Amino acid sequence: MTSHFSKTLPVIGILLLVWEIVGRMDWIAGGALPGISEILIQLWKDRGDYPQHIWATVYASGLGFLIGNTLAVLAGMAFVLSPVLMRLARGVNIAIFALPPIALAPILVLTLSGMAPRVTLAALGVYFITMSATVIGLSQHDSRTADLVRAYGGGNWAIMRLVRLRGAIPDILSGLRIAAPNAVLGAILAEFGGGGRWGLGSYLLGSLGRGDPARLWGIGLIATVIAGLSYAIFAVVSGRVLGSTRSVSLNTALPPDDGGAGRSPAMHLLILTGTVVLPFIMWWAFIKLTGVPDMIAKTPIGVFDYLFLADASAIARGKLLEALGQTLPITAVGMIAGLVFAFLLAISSRMFPGFIRGFMPIALVTQTMPLVALTPLLVLILGRGYSLTLWITISVTFFPAFVLLVQGIQRVPQSVLDLPRAYGASAWKEMRMVSIPAALPYLFAATRLTVPRALLGVMIAEWLATGTGLGNLLNRSRGYLDYGMIWSVAAVSVMVSVALYYGVLAVERRTLTRLGMQTVE
Amino acid sequence: MTDPAGISLRAVSKIYRGRGKPIEALKDMNLECAPGSFTALIGPSGCGKSTVMRIALGLESHDEGDVQIAGQSSKSATAKGVTGVAFQDAALLPWRSVQSNIAVPLEVLGRNPREYRDQIAHLIELVGLKGYEKSLPGQLSGGMRQRVSIARSLITSPAVLFMDEPFGALDQIRRRQMNVELQRIWLESKCTALLVTHGIDEAVFLGDCVVVMHANPGRVVEVFEVPFARPRSQDLFSDPAFHALTDKIAKVLHGE
Repeated sequence: MTSHFSKTLPVIGILLLVWEIVGRMDWIAGGALPGISEILIQLWKDRGDYPQHIWATVYASGLGFLIGNTLAVLAGMAFVLSPVLMRLARGVNIAIFALPPIALAPILVLTLSGMAPRVTLAALGVYFITMSATVIGLSQHDSRTADLVRAYGGGNWAIMRLVRLRGAIPDILSGLRIAAPNAVLGAILAEFGGGGRWGLGSYLLGSLGRGDPARLWGIGLIATVIAGLSYAIFAVVSGRVLGSTRSVSLNTALPPDDGGAGRSPAMHLLILTGTVVLPFIMWWAFIKLTGVPDMIAKTPIGVFDYLFLADASAIARGKLLEALGQTLPITAVGMIAGLVFAFLLAISSRMFPGFIRGFMPIALVTQTMPLVALTPLLVLILGRGYSLTLWITISVTFFPAFVLLVQGIQRVPQSVLDLPRAYGASAWKEMRMVSIPAALPYLFAATRLTVPRALLGVMIAEWLATGTGLGNLLNRSRGYLDYGMIWSVAAVSVMVSVALYYGVLAVERRTLTRLGMQTVE
Repeated sequence: MTDPAGISLRAVSKIYRGRGKPIEALKDMNLECAPGSFTALIGPSGCGKSTVMRIALGLESHDEGDVQIAGQSSKSATAKGVTGVAFQDAALLPWRSVQSNIAVPLEVLGRNPREYRDQIAHLIELVGLKGYEKSLPGQLSGGMRQRVSIARSLITSPAVLFMDEPFGALDQIRRRQMNVELQRIWLESKCTALLVTHGIDEAVFLGDCVVVMHANPGRVVEVFEVPFARPRSQDLFSDPAFHALTDKIAKVLHGE
């Protein structure tokens, strides 16, 4: 760890120094990137504003974190005890994983009031991570100890209580750690969606038009620190509790289920139908429970009506398709660029181990940053064109992919690497024979992981800056009170994200099966 | 009905139906262990000897035949704490101390571990782990962990004790020491014991009788009575009569 640190410190030092010089000289976009000292001075000037904004964001994300994780752990336990339930909830789980939070923000603001939209979005941000960590932790128990409990007449609940729950704590804790920054991100994004004077997201949005880069950077810095702290708290807690280190990458694979062994085809079909229909039932039930009038809150049927049956449905469809046509290509290009960049850097990591050792901690830190919430900062530097969207997509794709790939390559046993070398293979040949194939499963996992983030990044950029695509359509519909369109964009963007996830998964399964490899969990 | 504390398997068969051909794990398996006796079950890997134990404990179902533990079904026997069990690896919960691991069966059975405090202390002493009550499994050697699992198997004062290669992970020297210790503990507890093993030495040293099984399908081929008086000491391992018997069993085991 100390060696990591000694490699990283100079890198950080140089970066900060370059930042300060570039900022002071106003070299980037006419002063859009202020020097660090300028940011800190502005922070000090604004010190009176911050406490209330910070409190609002911390409160909403903390409450959401608590609620989301409680539900996630309970759901995880239920899924482990009942595989059928897990299968049924699969559709809901995938939808929650894949949904771009920004698409939900306006809906939540419409249907809920006060802090509730922020709390809900924060809770949704943590649910999937903690739920899958819980399921994985509970599933990986020592079968012998479970046998022991059963040998004394203990049932599933006794095994859960005595063996599984305690054994899952390391996984749950690492889930909480990765989820914590997501709660902050969720709360900030809900603030973008409107409502409420206080909160770092509102502050950021409010300051965007004032052309004061130093203040925007200050807010971004504070948001990053809060997210980083929430991560650090759980890192320390799990370190104390377990004395072990765990991977920081996200787990995107859905926990394995029983595969439907021993079920009749009719039952299979029934469960599959339930899986697909359940998310829509929950959507419908949410609206009925909140009691918001039909005019504002659209049920699945309402959205269908708006898009296909109503008089103006053709116009609505046209707008939506045009927006999709703008959003999807740029998302794809940005993702591919980010993934290729990460892949090349990761597979060459064996050649420059020193550089990777220095760079890795920085890449890890970015995992805790609410990268996509920092879009306003990038707007300052890159302006409002396509390059902005592209850079956001690349950055939200590159870092997680890079971390995952490096961790994957590091798992290759030394002996496997030594073998080609022992026969005098060149570095390039070794890479081709070992590193690249070894990294492939992780590349797919990273793609799955980053699809929703990339879509989120693009939509935020569109919403705040470029004035194109789904994000912009959502923002404009908000202004026109076009409720049907708000719900349609939300539904379509979730469905597109889910479809992309499954698309990647299908390609992944086919490719890896052909190569005789396993998908990375 | 068999005697209250014995083990009785009559005409038990078990077929694994997976992908491909069904596997006859056990066919017409008969096993009678008299109350208070020590039976060693030996056979090549894959002969179903562990399956016998798992069926007797109710961990696996069987397709045909009758299983009685202490005169009742395995389900009712295990739920009453009549049985004790030790597995090949110690199967300790890594976050629980030695004494707290020994109390796991009590908690499963819904008993209050505090009422067993003296008994836990006694068992820890019996297996020679005094002073390690509060240690975690990770701080113990493999042999010590195995002794914790033996102590745990005795905490309910079981009338019937099942052991599945409890010393399989130990080296020869440790293993013989543990055999002597196990005999001492068993003589003290007076329970009916069934030991599943693949060591002929161990089977003969510990058993009143040695049951030899063959695979495909899993079945009993011969039962040997072991005549040596108890308590048996380590010297027995070098006794010519001991070797004559192990050679005889080896021949049957290898199908000669």
